[in-house]
Amino acid sequence: MPKLTIDGHEVEVAARTNLIEAARAAGVFIPYFCYHPYLTVVGQCRICMVEIQGQPRLALGCATPATDGLVVKVETSARAKEAREAVMEFLLANHPLDCPVCDQAGECLLQDHSMREQRDTFTTHMAETRRTFPGYERRLLGPHIVQNQNRCIHCSRCIRFTQEISETAALTYKSRGNSEFIDTFDGRAFDDPMSACAADVCPVGALTVREFRFRKRAWKLSSTPSICPGCSIGCNIFIDHHEREVHRFTPRENPAINATWLCDYGRFLADSLNEQTYLYPQRRAAGHMVRAEWGEAIAALALELRAARPLRVVASANLSNEELFLARELFGRHLRGELAVPLAAGEQRRMRNGKGEWLHAADPYPNSLGARRLGLNVVDGEGLSRFLYGGAGLTLILDAEAHPFLAGAEALQLLRVGATAVWMRCEHPLAGVAGWLLPAASLASDEGTFTSSTGVVQRFAAAFSPPGTVHRMPTGAMSPECPTIASPWGPPGEARPLWLVLTALARELGAPNLDLASPAEVFTLMAQTDRAFAGLEWEALGGLKLDESFRERQHVG
Amino acid sequence: MTTRPLVVATQETTSDVKFDKTMEDRIADVLRRYPTTRAALLPVLWLCQERFGWISPGVISAVAERLGESAAFVEGVVSFYTMYYTSPPARYVLQVCTTLSCSVCGGRELVDHLTAKLGIGFGEKTPDGSFQLVGVQCLGACGNAPVIQINDDYYEDLTPKKLDAVLDDLKGRR
Ligand code: SF4
Ligand code: FES
Ligand code: FES
Repeated sequence: MPKLTIDGHEVEVAARTNLIEAARAAGVFIPYFCYHPYLTVVGQCRICMVEIQGQPRLALGCATPATDGLVVKVETSARAKEAREAVMEFLLANHPLDCPVCDQAGECLLQDHSMREQRDTFTTHMAETRRTFPGYERRLLGPHIVQNQNRCIHCSRCIRFTQEISETAALTYKSRGNSEFIDTFDGRAFDDPMSACAADVCPVGALTVREFRFRKRAWKLSSTPSICPGCSIGCNIFIDHHEREVHRFTPRENPAINATWLCDYGRFLADSLNEQTYLYPQRRAAGHMVRAEWGEAIAALALELRAARPLRVVASANLSNEELFLARELFGRHLRGELAVPLAAGEQRRMRNGKGEWLHAADPYPNSLGARRLGLNVVDGEGLSRFLYGGAGLTLILDAEAHPFLAGAEALQLLRVGATAVWMRCEHPLAGVAGWLLPAASLASDEGTFTSSTGVVQRFAAAFSPPGTVHRMPTGAMSPECPTIASPWGPPGEARPLWLVLTALARELGAPNLDLASPAEVFTLMAQTDRAFAGLEWEALGGLKLDESFRERQHVG
Repeated sequence: MTTRPLVVATQETTSDVKFDKTMEDRIADVLRRYPTTRAALLPVLWLCQERFGWISPGVISAVAERLGESAAFVEGVVSFYTMYYTSPPARYVLQVCTTLSCSVCGGRELVDHLTAKLGIGFGEKTPDGSFQLVGVQCLGACGNAPVIQINDDYYEDLTPKKLDAVLDDLKGRR
């Protein structure tokens, strides 16, 4: 392991680490635009120039490997600083001064570097005319990407992304020199399945995501680490939100799963988290749905559950391990009911990890492996139909979106016999047959773990507390008189995460061991009893850093 | 000297290109001379320009597929070089040297003469598709300035009168 000195700080790094990363480890910042840790190094932008003692020429931080005994000067070298300033001057000579109306502002590497340096070279070119690309200033490059070529700094990150990661090689430079611009073949739509990553890697506002443009200033967003609910691969994401509204998903670095990528399908599920059709518990009375209190609902459900013969519970691979565990213990063990987790086949999704390997999704659920590892009865559509067949009694459907079969006429027919309680968030045909309709909270207000299809147990955090509660996530189990203080920002309603309802039911049903105060406590119990989770600790899961700031993640953005 | 007119394929015939046996043979021949297929991209494009007169999107797709590159990449390369025509050229492309030696030896007069005679400026084609005017940098024949390259041939020591004769001759030819 080479040991080197950077601006007076000694640091030891793994062989083949480049100077940018070595400096990062030493707490010294070397600026970069074209370098990206998961793309090939091209040494194109020249902003990373540093001085190496004993070498007459300046070296590139991105393209120089750390070697033993190297003495590197970044801020302490006047020569290197001057060279970097010159690069900046060239870039800014043509870059538009439109930060106030640029959607990248706040997460722009060029803006950040300008602010950091504060040199007056940045004002010398204020009044000059700039190179422009008429017709390419606000162009839809593809369904999700808006291009403003005037802002491009020709770093080729977007091109390399399509060549090396998504492998569509759909983007290219056209023309040359001062008139070089980014385009697709013959002006075709840029419809790469991971197209929005091209905007992620673009260091400036040349490529921006259409769905997010002008929704929210980047600095207003809070970022909560979470897991993409789109499929079993379990890509790590940030839920970027403001005032209890989800504005976007962005990739969160995880070399073993998604490096710094995200597929468009998963990314654009973000908006669906804001949907909340059902706000309050409802009960069917004389053919109509009437609003009920949670306390009333839990007491009544507990009574029905005690008497239910048979009791059938349709769980879901969209639920967290903690929720599935609670359901298994409470409905399976304690009440001796039958459980099933239906799985449907989905589209073939794939993701590229940090080693460049493709991971393939098993199904469109974030926690199908979790359900299997908890020993739950996993069924397909046909199995679900058999599971629901015959017998009166009580059927609980813990997630209306568990399987498309549940939205079909056959399921509705089967569920007309006996009583049914359904948890749902958005408009769903099951509302027509439910005796109890319970509003479910979205992933943004839930907390727990999913097991990825590669077997990693990954934690996701709650971005904000469920609607109608005070802003903090409640740490105690839900009291029957759940608070409904209308938040000044939050939407009204009483949707609750499932784990909270299950622990309340456990208390009501005389299962005090399951009356736990948080998903963390459920996890701890689960780790003690279930082999699949043995030895795992909530706090240490998946390197989840809840305090990771918005700034820090730009290192890979 | 007999300069042959360019074969210029129409937009339609080059929209969906399949290489015939002759082309395939020539491409294979080129490929043999280069260490990687990517390295053979420029000469293969050159073959295509000889055959079709210009590099259409259809030609780009065909070349990309043949060489295992993305169409976007090939188009990027094509757009880098000015000598690949990305729209159908005229039958005779008049590449007038505009660099110093030619300019001072009468090149500027030639340009004036040509623009007046043909009624077109640099980058334009005559309506009948006979001539196209292109300004180029030093053709490396300064000793015989002024110089115009017509398609692949050099015409040197030109005067407006000599040029008229050349153009009339070419125009009469089919
Ligand atoms: S569009 Fe963005 S990512 Fe692509 S070359 Fe320009 S600055 Fe770099
Ligand atoms: S980051 Fe090193 S040259 Fe661009
Ligand atoms: S200047 Fe015209 S050929 Fe050199």
